Amino acid sequence: MAQYAMVIDLQRCVGCGACSVACKNENNLTEGILWSNKITKTEGTFPYVRYHYLPTLCNHCENAPCVTGCPTKAMHKLKNGITMHDPNKCIGCRYCMFNCPYGVIYFNWEKAQKFWEDDEAVIKGCTASPKEQTQKVGGGAFPYYNPEREETLDGIRRAGVVEKCTFCDHRVKKGKLPYCVEACPADARIFGDLDDPNSKVSFLIGKYHQFRLKEDLGTEPKVYYIRSFSHTHYQSTKGGI
Amino acid sequence: MQGIKRSLWIGILSLGVLAGLLTAYKVFTTGLVVYAKTNILVWTMPLASYVFFSLTSSGLAFVSSIPIVFGIKRYGPIEKRTIFLEISVLIAAFVCLVLHLGSPLSAIYFLLSPNPASPLWWLGILYGIYLVILVTTFWRMHTAVHSKALGVFVFLIGIATSTMLGWLFGHPDGRPAFNAPYLTMYFPLTALASGLAAVSLVGSLGCHFACDTMSEDRATLYEDIAKLFGIVIAITLLFFLWRSVTGGVSATALQFGGFRRMLHSRSHHIALWLGFIVPLLLMALRSVRSTTWGKATASSLFLIGMFAERLGFLLSGEVMPMGPMAEGQPQFVSYAPTIWEVFVPTSALSVMLLLYTLGEWYLNLEGPVNK
Repeated sequence: MAQYAMVIDLQRCVGCGACSVACKNENNLTEGILWSNKITKTEGTFPYVRYHYLPTLCNHCENAPCVTGCPTKAMHKLKNGITMHDPNKCIGCRYCMFNCPYGVIYFNWEKAQKFWEDDEAVIKGCTASPKEQTQKVGGGAFPYYNPEREETLDGIRRAGVVEKCTFCDHRVKKGKLPYCVEACPADARIFGDLDDPNSKVSFLIGKYHQFRLKEDLGTEPKVYYIRSFSHTHYQSTKGGI
Repeated sequence: MQGIKRSLWIGILSLGVLAGLLTAYKVFTTGLVVYAKTNILVWTMPLASYVFFSLTSSGLAFVSSIPIVFGIKRYGPIEKRTIFLEISVLIAAFVCLVLHLGSPLSAIYFLLSPNPASPLWWLGILYGIYLVILVTTFWRMHTAVHSKALGVFVFLIGIATSTMLGWLFGHPDGRPAFNAPYLTMYFPLTALASGLAAVSLVGSLGCHFACDTMSEDRATLYEDIAKLFGIVIAITLLFFLWRSVTGGVSATALQFGGFRRMLHSRSHHIALWLGFIVPLLLMALRSVRSTTWGKATASSLFLIGMFAERLGFLLSGEVMPMGPMAEGQPQFVSYAPTIWEVFVPTSALSVMLLLYTLGEWYLNLEGPVNK
């Protein structure tokens, strides 16, 4: 069985956020939930300032604290290494959010995508109401609803349960790449089987110095970061006092 | 006159219960969005209330077990009353838990899909058994059949639940401010202090309002409890202060930022001054300790302080956002409960007091105990 992992090449990543947008579309994510997210940091003081951008998602840890802590096995590991969530078994205790050291699990505090049920037009007599718009394109949950998400998980997760990145398991099952990988215009996300020595992820992890987030916690994350973009250079010097 | 007082008391408690029912309606129709929660502050006042009530109930288990486990027979006459109070407090804890969970009906999967690696699973199972054992113990006492084995079991389960709660909070390695080995000692200790406070408060005030005079034996017993309460507050205060020093002053790790922040919070000051220092001083003075109002004031203040401590403790692990959750957020997020969150402990307290009042009126809590 394959053991899936992702390599994020920080030299290629331009921080455009296409991964986050693609993820929201593919997985029908509601407002405030970002399975594919980022950590940004500004370092230094003017005129020597630098902006860092680090894309984040569920790390699908081998020793996942969210899985160990879940009382009903709603959060569980698939044989291919993906950390998956079953909303039917979820009691909404949020212990997984508390246990996750990466801050990548979200909770549905209220009904998702509820604004699309609104009957009132934004501009009366001019625009359609969200509900009308949805009906015009076929009556799904909302106009850009992706029914393929239902193949392995609730299409839209109900209020009172958690949700997180699944490495697009519904696509992977069909031999397709996760949608964030597909959508990345810079090919900064590389996905594959860690157990296959000839896979691209194995090649990149072996060839480049890689790091994972909070490795000291022993969670064995399956998201690896390589390289770092820098357009700057400096004249060789030993400094001075 | 007595009838009017009773009706007024029941009326006030019913209002509290009604607030809980309203909250339940809001939570199950609108969602947990009615609470001041975010993906950063995932556990707030409803869970803090659960921790407060469940640990108080464990503490009551320790007190009720004193005559059986430690052979101190003079605690025997309050054993049945304490067990009933324990049941009421535990039900209050369950009220908080139901109002905290997003999908409480899925709790059936505790049995259908168990995960014994999870401290939360053990806690759920243990609390279920705990309630059954408590009701059985009370019923047997009520029918004048006393079981030593059940008494010992109540004590053991009190130890198990309070230490298990330490494991539960200490489980995440990513939140080192919640130190599991420390919490597995701190929780049973604060539980015992809370249990003694609850017995002292309910026993002394209950007798003040319901009895004409307290028997000499009973007065001596409550005096003993007050002394023990004072000693336990002092030990708990030491633990509390050392935790503040190690986690808040000497620790340099980034992850202790939230804990350091909470040392300057209102909840920390309420816990320290109102919850520990003032009750300790009151219990240290014999002239105050021997009075009903002295015991009642010290116990109430300690319980208020403990409630603030449980809330501050929870928030200390959450106020500093981590990872991508910190995007666009200040270094520390602030928390103010909504009215619906305030209704959670209010309604749980009302349920507890209502049950206890009904028990006081319709069951003989002073019933004879065959040893």
